[in-house]
Amino acid sequence: MARSKKILIILSVAVLLLLCCFPLIISEHYMIVSLLIMGISFLPFMYRFSKQKLTSRELVMLAILGAIAAVSRVPFASLPSVQPTTFVIIAAAIVLGPQSGFVIGVLAAIVSNLFLGQGPWTPWQMYAWGMIGLTAGLLRNTLFMKHMLGRCVYGFGVGFLFGWFMNLWFVVSMINQISWTEILLYYSASFYFDLAHALSNVIFLFLFSNAWIKIIKRFKTKYGLFE
Amino acid sequence: MSTRGVWSFHPAVMLAYYVVVIIGFMLSQHPVFLAVGVGFLLVFHFLIDKGKQLKTWSTMILTLAVFILVLTPVFNRRGNHILFYLFGNQVMLEAIIQGIMLALTLVGILLVFISLNQIISQDRFLYLFARISPQWALLSMLAVRFVPLLKKRLKEIEEIQKVRGFSVTKGSIKERGKNGMLFLQALLTGSLEQSIQSADSMSARGYGQQKRTHYQAFTMKNKDWYALTFILVTGSCMVFGWWLEDSVLSLLPVLETSQLEQREWVFIANWTLLLAFPLWLEGKEVAKWKFYLQKI
Amino acid sequence: MEILSAKNISFTYPLEEKPALKEVDFHIHKGEFVVLCGASGSGKTTLLHLLKQEIAPHGKLEGSIFYKGTQLEKQNKPPDDIGIVFQDPENQIVMDNVMEELLFGMENKGYQTEDMRKKVAEMTHYFGLTHLLDKKTSELSGGEKQKVNLVSVLLLEPDLLLLDEPTAQLDPIAAKEFIQTLTQLNREFGITILMVEHRLEELFAAADRVLVLEEGVKKIDAPPREAVAMLHIHPILNYFLPSASRLFLHFQPEVAPRSIPTNVKEGRDWLLANNITADSDMEAEQEATPIFTLKEIDFQYNKDTAPVLHNLSLSVNKGELLAILGANGTGKSTLLKVMAGILRPQHGKVLYDGKKQKNLVNMAIRYLPQNPALYFLEDTLMAEYSQIVKKHPVENGEAIIATLLDTFGLKGIEERHPADLSGGELQKAALLGTLLEDPKILLIDEPTKGLDPYSKKVFGTLLGDLRKQGLTIVMVTHDVEFAANYATRCSMLFQGDISVTEGTRAFFKGNTYYTTVMNRMTRKSAAPLAVTLEEAKENWRVQRKS
Repeated sequence: MARSKKILIILSVAVLLLLCCFPLIISEHYMIVSLLIMGISFLPFMYRFSKQKLTSRELVMLAILGAIAAVSRVPFASLPSVQPTTFVIIAAAIVLGPQSGFVIGVLAAIVSNLFLGQGPWTPWQMYAWGMIGLTAGLLRNTLFMKHMLGRCVYGFGVGFLFGWFMNLWFVVSMINQISWTEILLYYSASFYFDLAHALSNVIFLFLFSNAWIKIIKRFKTKYGLFE
Repeated sequence: MSTRGVWSFHPAVMLAYYVVVIIGFMLSQHPVFLAVGVGFLLVFHFLIDKGKQLKTWSTMILTLAVFILVLTPVFNRRGNHILFYLFGNQVMLEAIIQGIMLALTLVGILLVFISLNQIISQDRFLYLFARISPQWALLSMLAVRFVPLLKKRLKEIEEIQKVRGFSVTKGSIKERGKNGMLFLQALLTGSLEQSIQSADSMSARGYGQQKRTHYQAFTMKNKDWYALTFILVTGSCMVFGWWLEDSVLSLLPVLETSQLEQREWVFIANWTLLLAFPLWLEGKEVAKWKFYLQKI
Repeated sequence: MEILSAKNISFTYPLEEKPALKEVDFHIHKGEFVVLCGASGSGKTTLLHLLKQEIAPHGKLEGSIFYKGTQLEKQNKPPDDIGIVFQDPENQIVMDNVMEELLFGMENKGYQTEDMRKKVAEMTHYFGLTHLLDKKTSELSGGEKQKVNLVSVLLLEPDLLLLDEPTAQLDPIAAKEFIQTLTQLNREFGITILMVEHRLEELFAAADRVLVLEEGVKKIDAPPREAVAMLHIHPILNYFLPSASRLFLHFQPEVAPRSIPTNVKEGRDWLLANNITADSDMEAEQEATPIFTLKEIDFQYNKDTAPVLHNLSLSVNKGELLAILGANGTGKSTLLKVMAGILRPQHGKVLYDGKKQKNLVNMAIRYLPQNPALYFLEDTLMAEYSQIVKKHPVENGEAIIATLLDTFGLKGIEERHPADLSGGELQKAALLGTLLEDPKILLIDEPTKGLDPYSKKVFGTLLGDLRKQGLTIVMVTHDVEFAANYATRCSMLFQGDISVTEGTRAFFKGNTYYTTVMNRMTRKSAAPLAVTLEEAKENWRVQRKS
């Protein structure tokens, strides 16, 4: 199990790197190839979880964390584009690791869309939040993630990446006829929303990540989950 | 929940239909095809709930459509037909047509999803999901069950803490944000503890001892097979039209006329047939009920 | 035939020295209905969970448990036919709609669709759940939820049914109905039942045997009447007994167990057999100065739903303990939230000390919710209290906290996490928190939910003391006995309006059905009318008819 996990992680990192570098090599079918690559890096984790043996307590804990991530938008309804969903996913991933972080991220997307309505953005949201959880889990034992500054930098970065990703549903729908200038235009239009997301991630992580990590950790050790 | 008309079909058939229509919108980049598509979807929305659900989304859809319609011609300067100059920039006919097509595609896809949320309800969606991955489906169902519970608890926390002087609706942004997070934190702690009981109730009912079966709430009936065949045939025909480039309007290097010609009529007929399918089912239902009521 | 037996079981939780159970020994025969009771912390839940292997707690278990002749630990798979229903109706539900919830267990056990359909159809017809099948589980009432939980377990055809205080969170009517269902299952279908429960009043008729645990040791294992005779002198558990028994044993403590009455009917027979006179029947009218007044309040949650409160007027007097009673769904909690300023009424006036309320959340009014766990935002009780004292500066904050901890009997647990407290402790801990803010009026929503009779008594006495010190208290409750014992005035809420407000005694005397057990027993009997047991104990003189 541990070995297959390592291989999976190395593979997915390689794929992500590829995703960033290959437009330098082939630029013609960028969109289609990157979609394929996304699928390839995403599905193994989906599959891996669906075959994983979990106790009912572990399963319920994942469900609660995913549901809280989705519900966490509610008290912030009066503050535009501020929602702690990403924060909840990161905090949970830091305690529970990459696989669980991924599951909680994907679940948060599925659940919030089941209530707010599925849209063309659903798969992108699943991917984006899943990967945010996965990477946060991967980096959890590094100095970077242990240090508050590193955590905040991560939150800021993924805030923007998340926004860019979410624009993709839009770009892909127009796959046949869109040009780079237009893509840039659409991306700049979402800049302020993405900035708000990134900044709120930083603030939440700075003020609350230690407390949340403590709570989740306490619960995990109290009932001996995910060991 | 409704089980008549379009709702009487197997969720897998419904899903197949939506997938084919979405692909149709992405591939058929031709103003006439797209306009026909959007038109049919609007009528369909009117038939299922008099467009109520559509109304709640209308602001978002219109904003996006206008945004694209206006900005595409401003930034896209490729083409051969200059229409006029705006602040010293050429505005191309090709770009305007492209803007219209982009907007129609977007509106079409959003309309498809809005009706999809009404037709493939939560339990149907989870049923489909369970066929693909039982574990993911179970996890989602658990989370879906917890959402109303968590919302209720969160509301109670907000009410109690309001009396104690902690509010998420009054005070500075800093204060509101901080209180909101404190409430979530209380919700997290409480709910994790309580979730042990949920887990115990799962184990006590035999969860995790053996392979689960799944209750088949839906079965494929004859009419489901017919409908599926119809969807697949019209769908393939549609893809063939795209491959022949009959359902695509080429803008560059030469702008094709938007008028339909020869074979293109065949493909638009096919596209219409596909789109009219649920309309026919729903319309039949509406007519039937009118008729029954008159008889009574 | 024996279905379950425990031989000398002892159990110790990890990291703890004192065992939770000590050499407990008992047998249960097939078809028996056994009630397990004990004060909180007596180990009854631990024992029940040990019998259901799938959820057995981790720790050191000694001794052995036999189920249907084989030792549990020696089986490679936990037995299929032991079912368990837990206390909280809400937390046991894991699916979004009722049908899925009912199917959950059968899906786990690998049933085929056809079998599931057949069984669900049969069971829902029998239990009258058909109309709920398409509903969301979150929309059900507490009683309906618990019924769904029960049926979901019964679908797996258990021979032994374990129940862990299944009615503690239900209102009295739903609780009674639930117990009736259990009795029926036991009598008509021969299902063996082992139930942890406080409501002995209703259970005594159904139970064959009572097991009592005290600090992990089995103290009593006897038929109900004998158990009553033995428990009567117990400082805590005597509060668990039926009123009729307690009344009888107060006046005739030395009798053979079989003559002890355990229900209203037997109690009435005993009253008939005696000459009873009462000393005095005086009720001192208190001086009434209204401190808090509601005038013509209308409230509805939204435009399309029916109004919850309609033209409601109510005035609360200084220094009283007013109980607002009413059935489920009459708007009791809504009324309290309007009083607390959480909800804003569409019409009407709320006057505090004769002045109209500008700021809806008034500092002098404090609110204690139905679920006191939600009151806490910090990790420990002490942290919460320190936070409050910091926010509302008072002199000698720390000293006040210390005194209150002492009077509330919470000393020694102030560094615990609120989630780790028992129901009674949690209720007191939240009350302590509100008192630190020095309120003039305290509003309490359903204070006795989930409390055992002894914790109720402790909490009620505490409220009585606070009232005597000048605090005005308003509580909403459906616990008739609690209101009769501790309230000074009672109001009845009906169809969104207050229908009666009277002094507690007069209020219950005037009711025929919605009243205390004592009142039902003494009504139309030769004995003087009494509303509470305490009243009878104090005033009555009993002489045997010759």
